[in-house]
Amino acid sequence: MSNEILDIETAVRLKGFNFRASSKVSGYKSGIHKSYYNGISPDFLDHKEYSRGDELKQIDWRLYGRHDRLYVKKFEDEVNMRWCILIDKSASMDYGDGEYNKFEYAKKLCATLAYLLLKQGDSVGLVAFSEDDIELIPPRAGSHFITPILDKLETLKPSGSTGLKDPVLKALETYRSDASFVIMSDFLIDSKTIEQSIKLIRNSRKEISLFQVLHPDETEFNFSGSIEFEDLETSEKVIVDTGSLRHIYRKRVMEFIDKLKHICHENETRYVLSPTNQTIEKSLIQIANK
Amino acid sequence: MALPVIAHLISRKSSLKKSFPAVKFLISTQGQLASRSRIKDLVLLLLRALILVLIVLIFAKPAVFSFSQKMDKTPVSVAIVIDNSFSMGYEDNFKRAQDKAQDMIGSLPDGSFAFITALIPDNYNESHLLENTRLLRKSINEIELSFSFTDNEERLQDIFSYLQNAPTEKKIVALITDFQKNGWSNEDVRKPWLELIDISNGTNSPNHAVSGIDLNYINDSIRVVSRVSNFSNDIVAELLTTTQLGKQEIREFIDIDPQNSNALEASFTNYDILLPGSGSVQTTHDKLKADDVRYFISNYKEESRILIVDGDPREDSRLSETYYLARALETISENAATNITILDNNSILNKDLSDYQLVYLANVGEITPSFAKELEKFVNDGGTVVIFLGNRVSMGSYNALLKNILPGELLSLKEDNLSLIPSSTSIFPKDITDRTDQIRVEKLFNISIHPESEVLFKTTDDSPFLIKKELGKGNVFMFSSTADTSWNNFSITPVFLPVIKMIHDLPNIKKNKSRHYFVGEPVKIETIEENDSTVIVDPRGKELKVNIESGEFQNTWLPGIYRVETDSKLNYSFAVNVDPRESNLEKISIPSIESSPEQTRDLVKVFKEIWRYFLWGVIALFVSEAAFRGIFS
Repeated sequence: MSNEILDIETAVRLKGFNFRASSKVSGYKSGIHKSYYNGISPDFLDHKEYSRGDELKQIDWRLYGRHDRLYVKKFEDEVNMRWCILIDKSASMDYGDGEYNKFEYAKKLCATLAYLLLKQGDSVGLVAFSEDDIELIPPRAGSHFITPILDKLETLKPSGSTGLKDPVLKALETYRSDASFVIMSDFLIDSKTIEQSIKLIRNSRKEISLFQVLHPDETEFNFSGSIEFEDLETSEKVIVDTGSLRHIYRKRVMEFIDKLKHICHENETRYVLSPTNQTIEKSLIQIANK
Repeated sequence: MALPVIAHLISRKSSLKKSFPAVKFLISTQGQLASRSRIKDLVLLLLRALILVLIVLIFAKPAVFSFSQKMDKTPVSVAIVIDNSFSMGYEDNFKRAQDKAQDMIGSLPDGSFAFITALIPDNYNESHLLENTRLLRKSINEIELSFSFTDNEERLQDIFSYLQNAPTEKKIVALITDFQKNGWSNEDVRKPWLELIDISNGTNSPNHAVSGIDLNYINDSIRVVSRVSNFSNDIVAELLTTTQLGKQEIREFIDIDPQNSNALEASFTNYDILLPGSGSVQTTHDKLKADDVRYFISNYKEESRILIVDGDPREDSRLSETYYLARALETISENAATNITILDNNSILNKDLSDYQLVYLANVGEITPSFAKELEKFVNDGGTVVIFLGNRVSMGSYNALLKNILPGELLSLKEDNLSLIPSSTSIFPKDITDRTDQIRVEKLFNISIHPESEVLFKTTDDSPFLIKKELGKGNVFMFSSTADTSWNNFSITPVFLPVIKMIHDLPNIKKNKSRHYFVGEPVKIETIEENDSTVIVDPRGKELKVNIESGEFQNTWLPGIYRVETDSKLNYSFAVNVDPRESNLEKISIPSIESSPEQTRDLVKVFKEIWRYFLWGVIALFVSEAAFRGIFS
């Protein structure tokens, strides 16, 4: 069952890629991410005047010879990264059949990314959220940690409405030090709430990447005839003549996506639109570096 | 017009149902389109309605027009009957009925004849069949509201019979009425020749009324017990009720539950009960004023008083010897001022019977010589004694002490299963004697009847069951069995009440003089014997003559106190009241008053035709719309 969630083929193809945080992080193990803690990495960063407590072995004796003052070398350290993947499990995610189901797609996206991150030596935690239910797996490192993540993803059932702020706050409590957040959701909520949530993360000096998972029906609205639509979360009903509404609807959705992109841009956040008819690889590659 | 709307709504609702996550975009988007689509929907609805109406009118035109032409142009002879029963006094019903009659005269086809009449003629002079609308209109205004009611069907039938000589082929009786239930013996009031016009305002006509008065004389006081009824579905709260007797008045506020009545007691103390007087009980007026007051006469001397002696009383009155007898007498007394006293055996042994007119002895065991003597005097003076026997009766003491009273000698007890037959000399009418076979007698006394006595009922083995004897000015009736159901079922058969009533009403029984009548009821005037100076002064103060030949006064059309005067000197008074049955303004069932059968038939025919076209119209509408959808989608 877990193998169905994890897209192994994609994982293999993306093996040569690294998923990096765009800014510096403070880690505790050697990894591929630049660290705020300088010293053990070979990349020289700067000098600073010696003060009590500095290690004697880091004194630059050559500089002492030139300036007759004691300086210690500072190095840029590379550390491992902590990732927090937030996956939206609200009822609105349960749309679409089979592999095009939004929640199934998000789970696959989440599992594959978690696998690749663990493989590159990072630690990965998971937050599955809806407005009234937040399930959290704390971050762990090691490839073997993929199993509990997959198991958790397997048990998730979409329900409830979408709430972003509370899960973000809860995740921030767990990830007090530097971390990179990945949020996978359809983001069918108020754009202000999205912006506030992003700002909360960004103000904590953390990276964010958003994957907006949408079904092609939601973007294209290729229905015909008169249909009574019932909202998956609010049960609100509306009867529409789809033909006459299609053009305006598409415009509205695109406006919303653009707005979301704009918010992300403003807050130095990576935005990835992931329609469920798009491959996982194509979605993930947008946050990967060669 | 409902059909296109339904069609429209059905077509609106015939959409697929789908769950969707991004409904918020749809709602915001639809708001933009809503006004546009509302206009579109409205235009579509109007078009659909228009198409349907056009289809129906095109096809149904002959039927619709034939109906309206038929109603408009045929000359007709019509009897316009205005319901003037007292329920029509509710609000301005009667005025509206008169206006409606005026309208009808104005809309009569040329060559028509009409006459105006009141449902209750009272003293109204009926007009003749006329063509002259001016005279007809004048007749309408001459009709007055009555305080009575009548058998409507019989009256309408009479009116229709009168119409038979009318010169036109078509003859209609048009009744303008409030359809109040009272007066209609049959709920289905429709007739082919009868056109019914409902003048009332809706079905709910709340009304309260003073529906009955009883007088009780206690030592030196009179207790007036009045019954006030609420004929509505709402509670009547704090209704001011004034009881007036002579110059005294007692006021009280009462509450009455919906469809219920409340008894109100007013005691006038220090009142000389021997002095004849009159009074009334009156409530605050509602929309029907005529029944908010009821008049009464106080006349202790003329009160009919009945004594029942229960020889076998029980704590549970239903098991008492006289239970059925008392119920029967109470029923009879509803229509006549009657005072019933029930005493046990011991209480009557030294009783003065001169205050009573009727004495019933039911299974009385102990008879003293003094009581026997009092009883004999009572009968000789004009009283009536009715004796029921039973297990407490001692043949020896009865035969010895009451030998002058008893219509026969008690011989022995016998048990059998017998039914009853009337004797050839029975004084009872046929409807009573026809039903005597329902009576079963299991135990009775064998009686050897005296020659002057007559047997009114006997058992199938020829044993006397009811024997009558005249003694002095009075009568003695003796039943050879019990008054309760222990020896026979007489008291629970339909024969019992009429027999007791017949005894009560016998002309030579010393009866009370009734002083209470209903509106329209003839009154026997006692002092009229060849005295033509006697007049009746009605409640308005108008002096009216009495028919000397019959000695009856029939002009009791107004409720109130009437005075019988001879040479301007008051002889006595009597009270006339409205019949409380008319106060319940419940209407007859609506289906029967919607329209007359002839009209209904025509309407049904037309609507049957129209419905067919409507059906085809709807189908055509759906098919064409489906085709259009197919082409343009």
